[in-house]
Amino acid sequence: MNSCQHAEKIVDYRLNQLTEEEKAVFEAHLKSCEICQHELQVEMAIENELSAELDPGFIENRIKARLQLRQARDVRSFWLYAFRMAVYGVTATIVSMILLPVLLKFPLSSVLDLSKYSSGLAGLLGQLAPFNAFVVIFGFCYIAVFFASMYTLTQIRR
Amino acid sequence: MESRLADVGHLIQSARDGDERAMTELITIHKGLVFTIILRMTNDYHTSQDLTQETFIKVFMNIRKVKNAEHFKPWMCTIARNVVRDYFRKVKRKRTVSFEEIKELHGHSNIEITRKRVIIQDAMAKLSEKDRMLLTLTYYQGLSLGEVARVMKMSENNIKVCVHRARKRLRKYLEGYEHELLSTC
Ligand SMILES: [Zn+2]
Repeated sequence: MNSCQHAEKIVDYRLNQLTEEEKAVFEAHLKSCEICQHELQVEMAIENELSAELDPGFIENRIKARLQLRQARDVRSFWLYAFRMAVYGVTATIVSMILLPVLLKFPLSSVLDLSKYSSGLAGLLGQLAPFNAFVVIFGFCYIAVFFASMYTLTQIRR
Repeated sequence: MESRLADVGHLIQSARDGDERAMTELITIHKGLVFTIILRMTNDYHTSQDLTQETFIKVFMNIRKVKNAEHFKPWMCTIARNVVRDYFRKVKRKRTVSFEEIKELHGHSNIEITRKRVIIQDAMAKLSEKDRMLLTLTYYQGLSLGEVARVMKMSENNIKVCVHRARKRLRKYLEGYEHELLSTC
């Protein structure tokens, strides 16, 4: 296939990006140039294909069904998560209550012993046995983490 | 055009409130656009059907984020693009579309049209993801240059330059197929 330098202009011509002057020159040339006429035909065939809208068929109901399923699953997994967190929490508390008396026989107990502090919350906790102090601190941390994660989850769902 | 935009605005509002009929209508109006984009990007009929559904699910789950009906279409196209990207990240392989699948697309088995479609799709598959997206959006009837620019996150002038280049590259990949492209429609 021979080439013609004017054929360079065809894409711009079809995209309407030539100046009026360029357009007039090109159109005049087009009348007498078979190469450009052929090239223009090819470009238009390509355009024709590219502008075709493809049809996915009837998918409306499937989308709505899947959407409902997804939303139901989200709600379910939210409560499942909350339930699981609660179970973990209770288990962890029980385990730590059983483990702590054992732990307190080790030097670690001196670290946890808050009785040497006398003021503020530490002082209040110090009034209690170190065992109780640890459970209280653990309880606070656990509740904080639990609510923080619940809050995050509700944000994600939105 | 103005009134249609207002209609879409109402549909979005109703869909936000959970109106199923509004949702159905929004899907019916836009499914062709979404599916066309996705099929041109993935080259796989069944995957595209699935990803089109996935796109609409994402659209409806996030529809409260649409503040302006004008931005709905570009926003939806962006979601479709991201859904395709996620998909490719998962499978990391591309497949070319088979003849049978393309015939399915149109219901009728007009071989000339489908043969042309395969030729163009194969050439499109050789382009970069950006070029393919750009050409699909530009030649799709019913998207303005401004909307295309919004999806591509480019200026309108930049779009023109890039479309020109992409078209030249596509033309190069179609060398040797001219006669098939020109055969009777
Ligand atoms: Zn010429």
